[in-house]
Amino acid sequence: MRTTIKKDFSVEEPIEKVWDYLANPTKIVSCVPGASITEEIDDRNFKGEVTMKFGPVKAKYSGEIAIQELDMEAKKMVMKGRGLDSKGKGSADMVMNGSLNPTETGTDVHFSMEISIIGMLAQFGSRLINDVSDQLLNQFVANFKAKLAGAEEVDNSINAGAMMGTIVKNKIGGLFSGKKDKEQEEQKPKEEASK
Amino acid sequence: MGHSIKRKEDARFIQGKGNYVDDIKLPGMLHMDIVRSPYAYAKIKSINAEEALKIPGVIAVVTGKDLEKYNLHWMPTLMSDTQMVLPTDTVMYQAQEVAAVIATDRYAARDGKEAVMVDYEPMKPVIDPFKALDEDAPVLRTDKEGKTDNHIWNWSVGDKEATDKLFETADVTVKEQMHIPRIHVASIETCGCVADYNKVENHLTMYMTTQAPHAIRTVIALVAGHVGLTEEKVRVISPDIGGGFGGKVPVYPGYVIAIAVSFLVGKPVKWIEDRSENLQADSFARDYHITAEMAATNEGKIQGIRFKLLADHGYTDAAANPSKFPTGLFSICTGSYDYGTAYLEADAVYTNKPPGGVAYRCSFRVTEAVHAIERITDRLALEIGKDPAQLRFENFIKKEDFPWKSPTGWEYDSGDYHAGLQKAMDAIEYDALRKEQAEKRARGEMMGIGISTFTEIVGAGPSKDFDILGIKMFDSAEIRVHPTGKAIARFGTKSQGQGHETTYAQIIAEELGIPAEHIQIEEGDTDTAPYGLGTYASRSTPTAGAAAAVAARKLRDKARKIAAYLLEVSEEDLEWEPGKFFVKGAPEKAKTIQEIVFAAYTNHPQGMEAGFEATHYYDPPNLTFPSGAYICVVDIDKETCEIKVRRFVAIDDCGNIINPMIVQGQVHGGLTQGIAPAMYEELIYDEDGNILNGTLMDYLVPTAVESPSWETGHTITPSPHHPIGAKGVGESPTVGAPPAIANAIVDALSPYGITHMDIPITPYKVWKVLKAKGVVE
Repeated sequence: MRTTIKKDFSVEEPIEKVWDYLANPTKIVSCVPGASITEEIDDRNFKGEVTMKFGPVKAKYSGEIAIQELDMEAKKMVMKGRGLDSKGKGSADMVMNGSLNPTETGTDVHFSMEISIIGMLAQFGSRLINDVSDQLLNQFVANFKAKLAGAEEVDNSINAGAMMGTIVKNKIGGLFSGKKDKEQEEQKPKEEASK
Repeated sequence: MGHSIKRKEDARFIQGKGNYVDDIKLPGMLHMDIVRSPYAYAKIKSINAEEALKIPGVIAVVTGKDLEKYNLHWMPTLMSDTQMVLPTDTVMYQAQEVAAVIATDRYAARDGKEAVMVDYEPMKPVIDPFKALDEDAPVLRTDKEGKTDNHIWNWSVGDKEATDKLFETADVTVKEQMHIPRIHVASIETCGCVADYNKVENHLTMYMTTQAPHAIRTVIALVAGHVGLTEEKVRVISPDIGGGFGGKVPVYPGYVIAIAVSFLVGKPVKWIEDRSENLQADSFARDYHITAEMAATNEGKIQGIRFKLLADHGYTDAAANPSKFPTGLFSICTGSYDYGTAYLEADAVYTNKPPGGVAYRCSFRVTEAVHAIERITDRLALEIGKDPAQLRFENFIKKEDFPWKSPTGWEYDSGDYHAGLQKAMDAIEYDALRKEQAEKRARGEMMGIGISTFTEIVGAGPSKDFDILGIKMFDSAEIRVHPTGKAIARFGTKSQGQGHETTYAQIIAEELGIPAEHIQIEEGDTDTAPYGLGTYASRSTPTAGAAAAVAARKLRDKARKIAAYLLEVSEEDLEWEPGKFFVKGAPEKAKTIQEIVFAAYTNHPQGMEAGFEATHYYDPPNLTFPSGAYICVVDIDKETCEIKVRRFVAIDDCGNIINPMIVQGQVHGGLTQGIAPAMYEELIYDEDGNILNGTLMDYLVPTAVESPSWETGHTITPSPHHPIGAKGVGESPTVGAPPAIANAIVDALSPYGITHMDIPITPYKVWKVLKAKGVVE
């Protein structure tokens, strides 16, 4: 199954500083929930792992991450990852697009992620996968912001129970408000994950 | 006959005392779980069982390579195609069996399954059946020598030339492209077995969830005869079955693996699927893409139909059709209407989806056929602006025109379609509903009325045309009456909840006069029951029920001889009334059946064979053609697009009725399984071959909450060729309900230019079409 999620946000940091994070896989991967880099093949290719835990399904994907595009001038990067579940239960592909625009007070950040999942995890259906991915990206954004603000360590572990709670809260909240307030929800996964 | 006696089997079912496969526990029994593929299409590079074998209790991991040594890694399907039992190198669909873990308990087996590491090399799957026929589509069945495409078979019936000519010249032609979605029987009990091979006796007892135990015994002997399991060494026992609906007709790989493992280790092996495995890997049904066309005069006289089908069978043709009919009895698609021109052409393709498709509560693709003809008939009514009920009345085959020969080769036995539709219209107050609808439309409200007047074709079937793997589709009954006048009767069929223990007893009671409560019915043990092809396709009453009646009549003939001997009169002087023979004109001179049977063991005439037993193998002269007139009323909320079935009237004609309460129960269950594909159910695959709703959380099986209050009734047009005039009813409601619902919804939406919607019709789909038409925001 395939899904695309987009996320735009602003940070009050100069564009060069933000770019330094965006363009550095070791830095950016440390913000991705459940992800880690295990080996640096060269400056554009890496080996890494992503763990996804969702209800009864746990999947650990290991594979390769490649930087496909790194445009210093336009401040755009494209990163591609492909991983196989270590127990042979499926695979995941991800293309991450990131770009920056300077603003008066800082930088606008645009992220989009195209995710394609085959196997057990895909069987949860697109409704849940979208919510999970959305939640992961929220957590990623929170971590990214925290790192930019100078945090040494961020919590990039996955907590399925907390995530499920947040999704349910968002869903039910959405029913009444008609629109979820993402900015407000952004910090929650991290807070709950650390409990 | 005709009495609503309570179901004899319910005493044990409602007390939880049924005996299902999973209730069977044998000493030393091992448990099996199955590793399944996450990919729709992939090469297997390696299977590593090292970690799994370290788990306490896990004793073996079996792969295709292990089975290959005994040539048990593949098996034939019922359609003479081939299917992997376990793969040796390639997986062809998601959830396909990859390896089996054998352990001392079920939990260890499940843990072992999680620990088996399989290294795959994924390949790009073929999911869309239309793209499967593209020239550049990869050829999936490379195991079949010389195969250069994904086409399985082409089948046609009818007069192509005359039909094409008609469509060129007809006043009016209508055409719709339809998809009858891939759905699942989702029976409460999943599939499973206990394979018990006894090395000393070289004998296999196979307890399994099967609707056709005798045919399975023959298949096992054909597949495993070369390792010594010849047919007399195989006993198949089908205990209580928790719903079959066609899903328990095929042989699934799990059964064969369990047999192979039991054979190799010499211990009983139990395999029970979990819910998701059942939903994802077994027994899908339907998945027909249909281009339906109808030609008519301006006045609305139907002149002909032209249907083109594409059947998506998944990885292998594992359908369960009679051999001669690869598209089942779809050729009943001419419907209940009188015309002489029809042409039907079908093609089947392989894709990277689970194999099938089974006849889900339907006599081999009749559901698909009825949906197409009833939808396109409504489409014609809309085109020419005629009321769909009126159009049907004007085109029905008349009662006096039966037997009626259809342009696709069937001889309809009997029917009274006008009476059925009239009764349904009276019950629902059709004219008043149309008036209400007109008023509501004027106010912009959406209300629809849908009709389905279907003809089924069941009771397969006459041996000249019907066989499965060469075995003719007769069925059998054996009746033994004990000296005290109580009986046991055994059959080649197998109840899965239909109430055979009651209805068969009623048939014999009617013919012999022994009370039904004193007739024990047994099915499902191949060592004791006479051979038969099992229960599906509404065939039990038309075949085994008929066999029971004929066997009972053989016994009545013998009873007459004994009575004549006891009463010292000639046979011609005796008259029968249920329960006794009496002398004409002297009713006090009589012998009851109990007295006669006792004499058969204690005082039988010289020269006559002692005992009171009879067997009959019934080969039906024709199929039976039940019919029905269903009308459905729906209201659609313009704000939420929610569809509410306000009323549903079902008038069935299944010929003479054996037990009205059981028939009503069958109709209620069938209607619920009819609303299911119409509004809720569809197995959805994405372009990578992932199933997106492989659990009952996402695959919506309707419950009592979704079911409207069914209003049922019947007309009776006996089958002229069946011994008791019965036709079979189990499948009529499943077949007849979906088009009634779809027609009602399309009727509600027709003022906005909507002429067709594919089932399942969900609120979301309604919202999408209304949004596209600019009706809602």
